[in-house]
Amino acid sequence: MTKLFFRRLLSIALIGLVISFLLFLIFESDKLEVAGKVLGAYSLPEQRLLWLEQNGYDEPFLLRYFQWLGKFLLGDWGVSLQYDTPVRPYLMDQLKNTAILGGLVFSLTLVFSLVLGVLSGVFEGRMTDRLVSGFAVLTTSVPEFASATLLAAVFVFWLGILPGTSSFQDGFRWIELVLPVTVLVIYNFGYYTRMTRASMAEVMTSQYVRTAILKGMRFRRVVLNHALRNALIAPFTVMVLQLNYLLSGVIVVEVFFGYKGFGKMLYDAALFGDLYVLEAATMIAVAIAVMSQFISDVGYALLNPRIRFS
Amino acid sequence: MTEETPNEHIDSVKRDYAEGHASRREFLRFATLLGMSASAAYAFVAKVENLRFVPTVAKAAKMPQGGTLKIAMRCPKISTPHTFSWIFDSNIIRQSNDYLTQTGQDNVTRPALFKSWKPSKDLKTWTFKVRNVKWHNGEKFTAEHAAWNIRRVLDPKTGSSVLGLMKSYMLNDEGTGLWDANAVEVVNASTLRLNLKIPQLTVPEHMFHYPFAIIDPKEGGKFGVGSNGTGAFLLKEFEVNRRAVFEANKGDYWGGNPHLERIEFVDFGDNHTAVARALESKQVDGIYIGQVEQYKLYKGMSHVNVYRVASGATGVARVQVDRPEFKDPRVRKAMRLAIDADAIRKIAYPIGKEAQHHHVSPEFPDHLPLPRFTRDVAAAKKLLAEAGYPKGIDFEITTKPDPSWEVKAVEGLVNQWRDAGIRVKIKQLPSSKFWGVWAKVPFGFTEWAHRPLGSMLLNLAYRSGVPWNESHYNNAEFDKILNQVDSTPSIKKRRKLMGKLEKIMQEDGPIVQPLWRGLFMAYNKKVLGFDPHPTQYIFGNELAVQA
Repeated sequence: MTKLFFRRLLSIALIGLVISFLLFLIFESDKLEVAGKVLGAYSLPEQRLLWLEQNGYDEPFLLRYFQWLGKFLLGDWGVSLQYDTPVRPYLMDQLKNTAILGGLVFSLTLVFSLVLGVLSGVFEGRMTDRLVSGFAVLTTSVPEFASATLLAAVFVFWLGILPGTSSFQDGFRWIELVLPVTVLVIYNFGYYTRMTRASMAEVMTSQYVRTAILKGMRFRRVVLNHALRNALIAPFTVMVLQLNYLLSGVIVVEVFFGYKGFGKMLYDAALFGDLYVLEAATMIAVAIAVMSQFISDVGYALLNPRIRFS
Repeated sequence: MTEETPNEHIDSVKRDYAEGHASRREFLRFATLLGMSASAAYAFVAKVENLRFVPTVAKAAKMPQGGTLKIAMRCPKISTPHTFSWIFDSNIIRQSNDYLTQTGQDNVTRPALFKSWKPSKDLKTWTFKVRNVKWHNGEKFTAEHAAWNIRRVLDPKTGSSVLGLMKSYMLNDEGTGLWDANAVEVVNASTLRLNLKIPQLTVPEHMFHYPFAIIDPKEGGKFGVGSNGTGAFLLKEFEVNRRAVFEANKGDYWGGNPHLERIEFVDFGDNHTAVARALESKQVDGIYIGQVEQYKLYKGMSHVNVYRVASGATGVARVQVDRPEFKDPRVRKAMRLAIDADAIRKIAYPIGKEAQHHHVSPEFPDHLPLPRFTRDVAAAKKLLAEAGYPKGIDFEITTKPDPSWEVKAVEGLVNQWRDAGIRVKIKQLPSSKFWGVWAKVPFGFTEWAHRPLGSMLLNLAYRSGVPWNESHYNNAEFDKILNQVDSTPSIKKRRKLMGKLEKIMQEDGPIVQPLWRGLFMAYNKKVLGFDPHPTQYIFGNELAVQA
């Protein structure tokens, strides 16, 4: 396992190196436009050229890349062009917000989809299953912006009991998390419920479960001790990989509620050509993607004794 | 004030007004530009109209004191005020720093850090007196400080858009520096003189251009928490993209001490519905600007007042006249004749006003009303045929998706053009990409902000060779008349000249302009003292909140 861990670390470094170089290369061709964005849409071409010169953009490309890389590794992530603020504290702030949102959504989705998925999988074809499955399909098919609009109309405009935005302007408040978390859980849990259900239903028809039931073991024990572990393999693997999605895929909800998160930051940086924010954010995204893969590998091996680390 | 000294320009506008050639509003605008104080101008109005009650700037004296006001507005980077390119970033520094002059909600330009001014007879030498104020750190504000700021915004290295505005009369022909070493002249600690290359009437209004905030020379052009200023508030906290927090400065403010203790700007990103929800659930007390499609939503909020303001803000479909397909003025006029402007307004901007394709708003005091420009599809087709396109013509217009009224307006234009055989494809770019190419595309739809004078806009956008001339419009006669306008203080003559320019725009010009935007802001009813500004400026010291 230690070996696997280090192999994953190595792949983070390699992927990071390649991606950061490519990003640098892509935005190299855009630098005049970047100057235009820093100085504003109404700046003159001569002013933009002057700005590039003043900010060291006329130095050789490779030199600038390795300068950035060296500083990045030493913890100096540069200054955002768009916001004129050091990248690291700014990025960490957004990352923290996303971790709060993502963590809550992840744990709630996990609880709901496992409980409901197991219930409907065990009682496949019965009323419970039909209700849960129907509900899951319904919520998954409603896009986030639609449910967000609907919930906001009810709880903000009509009932007036929930705040309409979640920007934590007066510090962290739980109540501001209610709407974004609800929207994301509603959108996500159906998919995992259905997957858990399918996996559970399949395990329930396997021979060892039938044997256990036939020999008179209590149903509850059959499900919890024998079936559940095998049934969780597939949903668990997929869910851990969802961490990536929570990092940058929740942008619709972030924008809708004015939530200052990682996804929106990445999107803005990409549109603006804010190279240093983009580089740092991408490095973090790569690290999280690879590490969640590692977690999923380890978890998979723990759940499935047939798999051993080679 | 200087109105005691003879000033024949002021006498001439006084005469225009007294003889009925200029309206009260027009008189106020031009008299104050020429150096008459606003109170003296209003007093003259009272004398002429025999009014007992004079509308003045003085707000109700009894305002509740203290409290915090929160306004939803973007909080972009604010570190280099002289290169601001939005109005909202200038609204941040406006609370803690002053401008040399100040154009109010009534479009009248009043003294600010310059307490008075006087132009020479040829409008080429402007003498400004500096107000006796202190910086927050106790130092005295001097003409030297003002001169440093003026020279800095006019330095091409700074990258300020003030340059585009003042280039014609302050810079050399190459645009590389001041036209004369003595162009910005410090006479003494309290007097500053500008020596212009060509006559210009609107110098004081240019000094209120939003990137022209006056900052302490010692800070080298930077601004942030703890920066020195002369304004009513101090910037206490700033988190980019999140919020800006101001606290009232203890001590006397020349423009009237603030009522509020704190004013906060809160950033909800570029999602307009989030802003509306924040106001509805009382997370904020006001909004910087409302979107036209949300007008009814705000009107429906029971705890909110909606403030409307007429404005010269607009959007124009403009072509580049040096492209072969748009070279023929008949094609350009046909594009205007094919349009029923009021129908577009109804679809795209119901709270706006119909426009007449000349970019001189009826809100501008130098506007001359022309007969209504009406749709005539047959005439448009005929012009096209004469120009060599009997079977119609194909174009592509570049637009952006935000704000959404622009999309509706362009779709409306395209539908109407089709009737006259002008087939236009819409090419929509993401907003940030659009701003990279706005001045380069052959045919595009561009938004223009409000300016206090029509001639200011024509100078910025249609004079040949100026940096923002996105249509490459080049008309010697137009430029000649525009020069006359710039050096003509008489309102009557000026309006006549503007009428000629309007006509040229309609007959030969490079734009199709369907509408004028009306702007609106929304504030919680507990907010007092708010008066909507046509350029969306916010003056925190005028506002108060009821407990």
